[in-house]
Parts: sequence; structure tokens; C-alpha cells
Amino acid sequence: MPDALSIRGLTKAFGQKRAVDDLSLEVRAGELYALLGPNGAGKTTTLRMVAGLLKPDAGAISVFGVDALADPAAAKRIIAWAPDEPMLYDRLNPLEYLEFVAGLWGVDAKQARRRAEELLRWLGLWENRGERCEGFSRGMKQKTALAGALIHDPRLLILDEPLTGLDAAVARQVKDLLQERVRGGATVILTTHILDVAERMADRIGIIQHGRLLAQGTLSELQAAAGGGRNTLEDVFLELTARAEAGA
Amino acid sequence: MIAPPGSTLWLLRHEIRLTLRGIGGGRKRNRIGAAFTVLVALFMLLAVGVPLAFLLRGQEVPVRPEFYLSVLAALTVLFTLMLSQTLSAAVEALYQRGDLDLLFSSPLDARKVLTVRFLGLAFSVSLIFLYFLAPPIIPIAIMGHPEWLAALLVIVAVGLAASGVGLLLATGLFRLLGARRTRTVAQLLAAFIGAAFFLLGQLRNLLGKERSTSLFDQVLAVAHDPDFRPLPGIDWPMRAMLGEALPLLAVMAASTGVFVLATRIVGRRFAADAAAAAGASVRAQRRKDVVKGEFAAGPFRATLRKELRLLARDPALITQVLLRVLYMLPLGLLLLREAARGEDLLLPGAAAALSLMAAQVAGSLAWITISAEEAPDLIASAPARAGLVWRAKLAAAAGPVALLLAPLLTPLILMSPWVGCVAAFGCALNIAKAALMNLWWQRPGKRSEFQARRKGGLFVAIGEFALSVLVAGATGLLAAKIVWGLIPLAAALLALLLLRRSEAQIAAGLRAAA
Repeated sequence: MPDALSIRGLTKAFGQKRAVDDLSLEVRAGELYALLGPNGAGKTTTLRMVAGLLKPDAGAISVFGVDALADPAAAKRIIAWAPDEPMLYDRLNPLEYLEFVAGLWGVDAKQARRRAEELLRWLGLWENRGERCEGFSRGMKQKTALAGALIHDPRLLILDEPLTGLDAAVARQVKDLLQERVRGGATVILTTHILDVAERMADRIGIIQHGRLLAQGTLSELQAAAGGGRNTLEDVFLELTARAEAGA
Repeated sequence: MIAPPGSTLWLLRHEIRLTLRGIGGGRKRNRIGAAFTVLVALFMLLAVGVPLAFLLRGQEVPVRPEFYLSVLAALTVLFTLMLSQTLSAAVEALYQRGDLDLLFSSPLDARKVLTVRFLGLAFSVSLIFLYFLAPPIIPIAIMGHPEWLAALLVIVAVGLAASGVGLLLATGLFRLLGARRTRTVAQLLAAFIGAAFFLLGQLRNLLGKERSTSLFDQVLAVAHDPDFRPLPGIDWPMRAMLGEALPLLAVMAASTGVFVLATRIVGRRFAADAAAAAGASVRAQRRKDVVKGEFAAGPFRATLRKELRLLARDPALITQVLLRVLYMLPLGLLLLREAARGEDLLLPGAAAALSLMAAQVAGSLAWITISAEEAPDLIASAPARAGLVWRAKLAAAAGPVALLLAPLLTPLILMSPWVGCVAAFGCALNIAKAALMNLWWQRPGKRSEFQARRKGGLFVAIGEFALSVLVAGATGLLAAKIVWGLIPLAAALLALLLLRRSEAQIAAGLRAAA
């Protein structure tokens, strides 16, 4: 089975600044992969290129064996992208929003209606299905956007800071949902600054800085890479990024 | 003068800085805007102020009924215009700026914060009128009439009174309607008042020279009527503007009194409302829609349905779009009246006016559906072809225009099938032109920036309007069976071809804009 995501030599510069610099990494099918890095490390830029929102200057992106640069529509069909700021319409209600997203992904109308109901019930939004998103709390907006990301049953789910600004209950619900998706065979890539979440949830972790991959692997592999005595992911992360900063 | 941090003056300076930056826009626009501002002021000074100053040198302006009635009318217009501005500015200051929480959480006295905020409102509404009126008045004052400087004080007084009434109205509306509706009502009121004065200014075009002159004559007749018994003090606004001490003091005291009273009444209530607006926005904005029916299938139908829903749910925006029709009324009537002089040209004139109207409304709606997309990344990350999504958006923009035009075109077709069909063709062409121009030259923005959507795209805006006029002209000429109408038609089509952009060019333009 091909990797869920394979990136080779990916490069993207904004003016003189290289946001992503010859980055290569693989995400295996059916795993939850956490992409970590300090602010401005190039995480979001990388994921935006994978989602087809940015054109790389160089490199290759393959999603389940589909060349995402040569055939972006085919790749987009199996990807869902959920940024930290939910992509919603204030004057649509959740059901109408899901109708629109399902239409964009070409999901059969009847199937989409059924699936929308399932998702909204699962996320506790069914009672709010007729209310416009403009009055929603941050958590409700995030959950609506997540339902939109899942409406076409993506094989690869990419989430940028999915837990930002969520209260404990909603954050728990989102984490449960992601783990349930992984158990169901989907692949999840997420970025987060909450290292505890990555430590507990991720099968494998990638750490990038200045657009380059510093290390990639399971927690124990990263601990080994960081040197003895580094127990938590936070320790590992700080050690690896400090070492890279010193070498830069 | 250095104002100590936390003082009223310091706060006022902060308010004024925010007001001026709000007017100026970005840094680049600031430079261009500043140059333009100075040029207009110089023009007003040299072309209006200086000649007027020479004209009035050594002459006294008599306080006669026709003059003080005119001054009273002008000040009433000024007050209404300022009131409409204050109303929306008060709503903006209360619900949209979002800095009240910061100010209230500081150790500054809340009353001081609010008083300064209200003074800032009065300043912002007075500023624009002072800008236009000061350059003509200052030369007059220098060349023999220093007492005329009092006119500037009267303008400030009107600004204070309008701000006071505006604040009372905004708070009252909030109590009655809630935050969200108050904002909409304030925007609509401001738009309608603006449009009403625009139409009033175009009275001559609307009524024709003869009838509008007779209207003015009637005002004069009332003023000269020997039985005319003016109310006592009705001439005081004019006397105040001419610098008479007692009337000036009375006007200043009355307006300051209104402002202070409003500030007192509103002050406590305002703070409570601001807190309620922040906390209760969820409650106020949870609106239920009817949920039924099947989902739309496919990207085209789903996008079309979504765009129509969003358009239908934004009454403030739709009103602004339809007000554009109102703004075009004088032009259309002028066209019709000129055409009516030669009976045969009456219907072709209507055809041209309809075509121009179609371009205006379609252009506005196309900007909303295409450039003001709220979730562009969502669409870009979908596998749907961009062209298909854009076509759905254009259809959503064109549909309401067709609905608006149908009841106007149908009688035209019944009266004269040829003119009606040409008008329909002209409308269709102008709708298509507006849609394509908005597609090819997208200017991403927020719906709330509708009024300022031309900023940064003046060349395209002028081009778009020129094309609309060419197509409307061609429509009128062809409807009148004048074959020369083919020339502007060909010119419009050629220009449209030259302005065409490929999908890749559009994408590159959007990336550059981002």
C-alpha cells in the first residue's frame, strides 16, 4: 500500500525567505501523524501545499500514490483540509454548510444528507442544525468545520491546530473523533503546539524548523535521536530545535 | 502640547488618531489620499473662497427672509446628514471597534472614556464638513469679514447636536431591536438619507428645469409674502454664522446642552449595552432557518444555492446594491426627458437606461459572489473545477438582476417588440460584461467592504463603467434603429476581448493580491 503522503524535496519561498526548504517526509496509511515545529517553521505552508492551496517552487507531493501536483483534483478528492480558522459562512446554518461542502466534493445528495445528519448528531450539533453559524461559539464553529471536512469521508485528513481555543469538553470530543477516524482506516495529519496531545495521540511525529525536517519517528525514536535523559516530547522537542538553532 | 497619559486630552488624541487613520486607509493610500485631500482643499480655496472673498469685500450680507430661510434649510440638511453619519458611527463605536473592553478594564474613569468616545464621534462628523467649508470661509474672513469664522463654530455646534441625537437614537434602537438589527437599521438609515439628499440635489434632473425653478420660486414667494410671519429666532442660525455674539452663544449653548445631556443619559446605559453586545451577541444572532428538503447535487447547484442564500440573508448589502439603482434614477430620467423631446427616442432612451442599470446591479452582485467569497480556501481545496464554481457564482449574481429587469422589460417588449428585444439584448450584454469583468479582475474583499470595493482597482472600475456606457449607448442607438450603434457595440466587444484574462492569469492575480 502506498504511503498516505509522500513529500520529496518540497521547497517554497516567499520573496527571499524560504518557508519550506527541501523538505521530505512520509506519512504511512492509517496513522495519526503530528507535525510539530516552532512558530514560522513552515508547518502550515507545507500542509497548504499538500491541500493544493499553494503551488510549491520545487519538489513532489504524492497522496496515496496520486501525484498531487500533476492531478490536483484527484488528490483533493481524497483529502480534507481543516485550518485553524474554521472556513465557514456566517449566514449559513450547519446543514446548509454541509450541503455546500458535499456539493463541492461531488458527494451524492442523498448520501450527503444522511451523512450530514450522522456527523451533526455525533458532534452534538443536530439541535443547532437550523441556526446560523454567526452566533456559534468557537468550539461549535470548529466542530461544524470538522463535520465539513469529514462529509466526503476523506482518506487523508489534514488539520492545522485543530484544538486551538477549544474548551476541554470540545477538545476531548475532537480528539475522540480523530482517533475514531484512524481506527476506521483513515490517515490524520495534525499540527499542534500542545505537545502533550501529540505525545498521547500520535503514532509518529515529525519536527520541522526553518522549513527543514529535523527528525521523524515514534516518540521512542525521537527520544533516542535527542539523546539520553529526554523523557517527554517537550524535552525532545526543545532539545532538537535548540540543537538545530545552534547549528544554523 | 504634551498630554499626560490617561488624561482626557490624551484619550481624545488617541480617538482622533484612530478617526484620521480610519479615513486615510493604508500607508500607501495615505500618501495618495493626503495629496488628493490637499489638492481639493486648494481648489476650494482658490476657485471658490478667493473669488467669493473679492465679491463680498466691503459688502454686508443683509439678514433677509430668503437668506435666513436658506441658511436654516442648509443647516437642517447638514444636521440630517451628520445625524445619519453619527448613527452608524455610534453603532460602529459600540459594537464593532471592540476596544471598549480594553478601555473599561483600564483604571481610567468609565465616564471619561465614554465622554471622549462621544467627543470623537462629534469630531469625526464635523471634520468632513469643516474640510469642505473652511477653505471658502477663511479667505472671506481674511478679506474683511472676520466674523464669518463663526460659521465654522456653527458647523461644530451642529456636529455636537447631531452626535447627541445620534447617540440617543442608537441606544434607543439597541433597546428596541438588539445589537445586530440596530447595526443594520443604522446602515440602512444612513444609506437612505444619503440617497435622499442625492436625489434632492438632482431635483433639476428629476423634475426638469422649468418645474424645479418654479419650486424655488415658490420658496422665494413664501419668503417675500407680506403676510409671512417668521417664528421668533428663526433668523438666529444665520446671525450666528455671521458672528453676532448673542445668537452664536445661544446656538453653541443649545448644541452643547444637547450633547452633554445625551452623553449623561446615554453614558451609563451605553456601558451596559456595550457589555451586553459583547456577551449577548450569541443570543442576539442565533437565528433559525427552516431546515428541509434534499441537498443540492454537484458543485454547480450547491454553489448556486449557497450564493442565493447568502445574498437573500444580507438585507443591508442588498439595500446598498439596490440604492445604486436609486442613484442612477436622475441619469435615467435625464435620458428619458431628453429622448421625450423627440417622441421616437423615448423608448430607446429607456432601453439605454435599463441596460446601464443592469450593468450596475450585476457588477455589484458579481463582486459580492466572486470577490467577497468568505471561504476561498474551502473552495480552492475542493476538487471541483474553478470554472464550474465561478459559473455558479455568476449565475447567482445574474439571476436576481434578471428578476429585477423582467417587470421593466416586459411592458417595453409589449409596447415595441424591436425596442424591447434590443433592450433585453443590451441588458444581457451588460450583465455578462459586468460578470466577466468581475471574474477576470477579481478584487478579494469582505462583504463589509462593499462600499470601498473600488479602492485599489480604480483603473478597472473606470474601464468597467466606460464599457457599461458604451453598451448602453449602443443599446439606445440600435433601439432607435440608428445603425451607428454598431460602432460602440463593436468597441465594447473589442475592449472586452482585450481585457480578458485566462484562468491562470486570474489565479496569478489573486496570489499577488494575497
